[in-house]
Amino acid sequence: MSYPILIEQSNQILRELVDAGQPVLGYIYPHIPHEIVMAHGLTPSLVRTNPTTVGAYEDSLQTFSCSLTRNLFSQRVNGSFPLLAGIVFSSNTCDALQNVADVWRLRFPEDNVIRLTYPVGDSGNPAVQYLALEIKAFSDALESLTGVAFQKDAFIEAASIVGGIRRGLQLLYSARLVNPSLIPYDTLSELVGEFMTAPTKTVLTRIEKKWAEVLDGLKKEKQDGVVEKTRTALLSQDMGGINLTSDSAVRIAFIGGMVEPTTIADLINNVPGMKSNTVVLDVLTFGFRTVFTPPVETEGDPFEGAARSILGAPSEPTQEGLSKRVKLLKDVLTHLSIGGLVVCEQSFCDPDEFEAPSTERAAAEVGVPIVRLPIDPELSDRARLEGRLQTFLETLDAS
Amino acid sequence: MSEEKPYRRLESQDLLQQIAFRHGLEAMAASEEGRLAWVTSGFPVEIPVAMDVFPTYPEQAGAIVGASKIGPEVCGFAEDLGYSQELCSYARASIGSTDRPDDTAMGARPTPQALLACNNICGTVLKWYDAISEMTNAPVFLLDTPPLEREQLPHHRAYVRRGVDRLVEFLADTFNTKLENEKATKVADLSSQAIRLWTKVLKACANKPSPLNCADRFLTMAPVVSSRGMEHCVEFYEALLAEVEERVKGGVGAIRDEQTRLLWDNIPPWFTLRFFNQLAARGVGFPADTYTHAWSGAVEGSDIASILDGVVDVYSNVYLNKGLEAKVDKMCELIKDYDLDGFVMFSVRSCKRYSLGQLVSKEMVTERTGVPGVVIEGDMVDSRLFNEAQVQTRVDALLEMFV
Ligand code: SF4
Ligand code: SF4
Repeated sequence: MSYPILIEQSNQILRELVDAGQPVLGYIYPHIPHEIVMAHGLTPSLVRTNPTTVGAYEDSLQTFSCSLTRNLFSQRVNGSFPLLAGIVFSSNTCDALQNVADVWRLRFPEDNVIRLTYPVGDSGNPAVQYLALEIKAFSDALESLTGVAFQKDAFIEAASIVGGIRRGLQLLYSARLVNPSLIPYDTLSELVGEFMTAPTKTVLTRIEKKWAEVLDGLKKEKQDGVVEKTRTALLSQDMGGINLTSDSAVRIAFIGGMVEPTTIADLINNVPGMKSNTVVLDVLTFGFRTVFTPPVETEGDPFEGAARSILGAPSEPTQEGLSKRVKLLKDVLTHLSIGGLVVCEQSFCDPDEFEAPSTERAAAEVGVPIVRLPIDPELSDRARLEGRLQTFLETLDAS
Repeated sequence: MSEEKPYRRLESQDLLQQIAFRHGLEAMAASEEGRLAWVTSGFPVEIPVAMDVFPTYPEQAGAIVGASKIGPEVCGFAEDLGYSQELCSYARASIGSTDRPDDTAMGARPTPQALLACNNICGTVLKWYDAISEMTNAPVFLLDTPPLEREQLPHHRAYVRRGVDRLVEFLADTFNTKLENEKATKVADLSSQAIRLWTKVLKACANKPSPLNCADRFLTMAPVVSSRGMEHCVEFYEALLAEVEERVKGGVGAIRDEQTRLLWDNIPPWFTLRFFNQLAARGVGFPADTYTHAWSGAVEGSDIASILDGVVDVYSNVYLNKGLEAKVDKMCELIKDYDLDGFVMFSVRSCKRYSLGQLVSKEMVTERTGVPGVVIEGDMVDSRLFNEAQVQTRVDALLEMFV
């Protein structure tokens, strides 16, 4: 599915939800506590950039605001923004989002802007305690917004749905690594996209169905065991026990803090030389981090459970832990037999652009060639990006 | 000749140069002795100082690179390593000069043994120090002070306090040192004295004519940022305050013929400080700016526990760590207290935290104070991002409003 179609489909799903009286809470940063949002009767939905948006941010933001925030702002000014009960801006993540949230509030006072502040520090328990109380305050804000108090039953149900979706997607991610012919990257990214649009039972059912089909194929090839092991390894960020071998085909992975798998799928669609089994993984992307988040513990304090889950996910470039991310990347490249890495950077995104040289060095240290792709939501330089990917593939083929 | 210049040179500048020179030598010696830390401008420097860890502050090195007009070249060294031209030019200058110290005539900093970052000024500092850490192997310590929306809540305070405790543990482990009561109280006391003196210096600029212009304050703020808690810092501000008070007493202004008083918002373009001098020639001075007013909280305390609590208070609550409205409040307050006619907002392309939102704050400040302002775009170190003609046109348009 191309990215514009995904946007249309996602808007359609949102419209249907809203028409059915289901309020939707938009979010921008991947680590939203889905289960808490759902415990207030809201559907959390990723606010997406729109490739067809024409810039309309200039009265409020400078051109050096990151391309993602410029696009979202323009959608809001243009009136093409989805109908949301509220919008969650993360705080203490990146400088752009921090300030844009303030600008948004001032420019659109009628919008319900809610802040959720994350710890940057990788300090273990103090960070969990801090985030738990921030999530509690967030939950209180949702109660004021909706008039619906936190409902334990809804929370438990949400944990089961989101947990099931994540588990299914983790297995599908792993299946693609083990046997890419069983699940096209397009399909995988589409399902991840659906999860981020609306984590509903319908989406869970679709993912479970897809997994059942893939599992059949894996069983025939006796690969189901290794898929489960790969999933555990990715989830625990410990690749020690995994060693996937590849056939002669080149396997490449994508990386980038603020890139969605669907954008990758769209971008690689028309690249000459890109075969259906070439891209086997996107790692540390928006989708990957959301999917490989450990389940929320439903016993005990729900806010602490949500905080532990979020802080247990692969970290962001906006957080401490560069050396851990570099290690995970090196392990992924070597243990999963990746032959080339595409590094996506949102234009004017400080976290992406600061991290890219470290990523580049890490890949070089394990002998994996890379190409850096500066992208923006409009894919305004699409022909050149495709050209660079094509040349990259040719270099990999020749080596 | 110098008498003909439209601005007056501060005598304390000689002392400042001596201090800077001495600070440089001490930093070099500390690096050789294995007790040098780089600190960000909003870091609670009192703690390393009290633990005998010598701090140096690379944002100042970036300013020196800018002022020496080698910004594009040194930032270019970082770009050669893959760091985008869109990133903070203090960070790029620092990464570039760390990679190629021999090619950086001024502004290279001695090798650190630790990198101490506090994100109360921006999130970029962590990414920057992570990059330096990869180059030098010095560990990064991040004091995480999440931005405040309203008043500081108990769980925020507890989290930052735990971070401060961890900092003490980190320094003790890394440098084999201890935080002791006597030294801690002495350093806190010296730090508060310096801050109080600095605050008096800033307040004196409310006089007409203002005894200091923008560039004067930017140059003289360095010790209060990096050497709070050291004796020579207090000595310097005593001398500066004496000179400032002398000027006030004699009705002597920083510029010879102050006619228009403006507020400066943001870091200055270091490579073209003559921008201020050219305006001085037209009778335009800057008695206040938002940046140098950020260092105003004094850490008080009579023992280690109360000092560490004070650190939590002061460093979480710097107005840079609050939202856009806090910044607008600050600007309005300065415009009123310093009786200013208008304001210039420098939109620094490579500093998102300080600059994004200026278009909106400009409107709000004008609405609330009734004074006009202008936004000019450029960069503090990287002159490639500064279009002088365009800046001039905009500033001219603002000045026309005062004739
Ligand atoms: S992380 Fe990057 S792309 Fe995302 S909002 Fe921040 S600056 Fe923009
Ligand atoms: S991004 Fe801005 S606030 Fe942060 S270090 Fe750079 S100049 Fe300073």
